[in-house]
Amino acid sequence: MNARITPLITVLALAGCGHPAPDGAIGNNPSLPDAVQYLLPPMKITTPVGWKPGETPSVPVGFTITAFASDLKGPRNILPLPNGDVLAVEAGGPPAEPISRPKDIIYGPVKGKSHSPVKPGNEVVLLRDTNGDGKADIQIVLIPKLHSPFGIALIGSTLYVAETDKIMRYAFTPGATAIAAPGTLVTMLPAGTIDHHWTKSLTASLDGSKLYVGIGSNSNIVERGIDAEIDRARIWEVDPATGAVRPYATGLRNPNGLTFEPVTKALWTVVNERDELGNNLVPDYMTSVKEGGFYGWPWSYYGNHVDVRVSPQKPDMVAKALVPDYALGSHVAALGLAFNPGSAFPARYAGGAFVGEHGSWDRVVPSGYQVAFVPFAGGKPAGKAETFVGGFLDAQQHTKGRPVGVAFDRDGALLIADDVGNVVWRVTAGAAAKVAVR
Amino acid sequence: MDDRVLEHAADAQMIERKVIEDRRVEARLPAHIAPRATIGGVPVHAMLVPFPIACFTGAMLSDWAYAQSANIQWANFSAWLLAFGMVMGSLAALFGLIDLIFTKARPRPAIAVWHMLGNFVMLALALVNNLVHARDGWTAVVPTGLTLSVLTVLIMVVTGFMGHRMAYARRAGALA
Repeated sequence: MNARITPLITVLALAGCGHPAPDGAIGNNPSLPDAVQYLLPPMKITTPVGWKPGETPSVPVGFTITAFASDLKGPRNILPLPNGDVLAVEAGGPPAEPISRPKDIIYGPVKGKSHSPVKPGNEVVLLRDTNGDGKADIQIVLIPKLHSPFGIALIGSTLYVAETDKIMRYAFTPGATAIAAPGTLVTMLPAGTIDHHWTKSLTASLDGSKLYVGIGSNSNIVERGIDAEIDRARIWEVDPATGAVRPYATGLRNPNGLTFEPVTKALWTVVNERDELGNNLVPDYMTSVKEGGFYGWPWSYYGNHVDVRVSPQKPDMVAKALVPDYALGSHVAALGLAFNPGSAFPARYAGGAFVGEHGSWDRVVPSGYQVAFVPFAGGKPAGKAETFVGGFLDAQQHTKGRPVGVAFDRDGALLIADDVGNVVWRVTAGAAAKVAVR
Repeated sequence: MDDRVLEHAADAQMIERKVIEDRRVEARLPAHIAPRATIGGVPVHAMLVPFPIACFTGAMLSDWAYAQSANIQWANFSAWLLAFGMVMGSLAALFGLIDLIFTKARPRPAIAVWHMLGNFVMLALALVNNLVHARDGWTAVVPTGLTLSVLTVLIMVVTGFMGHRMAYARRAGALA
């Protein structure tokens, strides 16, 4: 057994004393500090303020960012269609989790303060730019009254929508502006009364024969009991025709942004790792997903780093845990992932990963709150992550927006769902960008 | 001599003896302060004190049950018991403090002061223990939480004994 047991330091000092160490937990081979358990975990809840008219996030020199659609109701995910239309999934979480202990009374409302005051739509909205000016001038509610939807995928003329408790199928040909027939159930998904990590990310295999759905854990670190985690913290492979499901990979605490890497044709995901082990632990990551692979949760993190908060411990599972491909930084809350498929951006961005980082709460100095770019070569990460779209968090640590889902549209522009700004942003590269970033 | 004068002198002697005897008894009896915060003659402090005693003892037992079983139900029990014990214990401390501050006994009995100091330490441990129990998973209880729960109860056994001695031992002693 090669499990390395990370010493766990019990710190009686209050959180906030001392400055968080620089975050080295980014890249192929992150350095992980020792786990620290606090009496008051480090925390910074940001306050949503929204964008003033004319304000936008920041982009590198030579790029342009514009609001593709505004005044949405909590857009969290986007699906660009082959005809140029864009589907936006507006969603909020399911009703509050049951209160099991005094902490739940305090944590729910405190964390809730960082959400947009706009009531989420829980619907799929069709956005259409009729005159090609990069702004959607038509917004149509395509599928209303969904149960906390998030994942969305198109296979041919069938649209699949992953609500928090099920995948539904709709007959829909791109170009249409309405869905006449009611949806058909493909499969139920683990949800229930707790439903802690509720976003069910969805993607289709490149040949359209399978769906892959991310199912997050029902807790931070099994504090709801192990029985609450049945069929959780994993990716399911779903047969879209029969609804048959099987676990594709497990031990992934909260996998989102499911998408296929175009060079290696491997399934990739971004994963939100566990909280309350310190400012710089545990890094969220992105990784190619090995079929049948186990990635540690709950017994270990980032390979075989044992999490002492889980009992009984399982050394055999820890020994099996795969090390993810690339650390994105602790608590950045990576929720969106898209690979740049085209050549509309300068050459160094070709094939690279763009990651929507919703932003931290479990950290004194906020992290995330950006769309990060990770260069890829040969279908593998090849360089340091950098801020591609920033400016979501201002100097007063107020959030103008928070990025979630990201996707490249038909024209090779990057779309970003911003669920605090209630905007879908569109990033394009001018000819100047190609020169400037050579 | 007049019989009445004799009788009076005997009475005086008897009264004097009685006073001396009373002082001896008083010195032997445990210290006592008359509660100042009362409702219908019942001390508020005395009405509140059973809650932290039951809650903190219960938290220790449910911590022990969790350490044996890893069944999250017991950790949740502990968290509620510690929280409610903390609230009611703080109220009991407040009214105990009122009784001690406004007592007419001079000097204030040492046992009352030790009872107070001990309970402050106990409540401080319980506060820390509440925060430890707010952690997620096994280490919300084992080992720090369970250790603090046991320490809390051990201190409470001593301070509780002091408090009950002040409240009841005088009556028992006087009747004996």
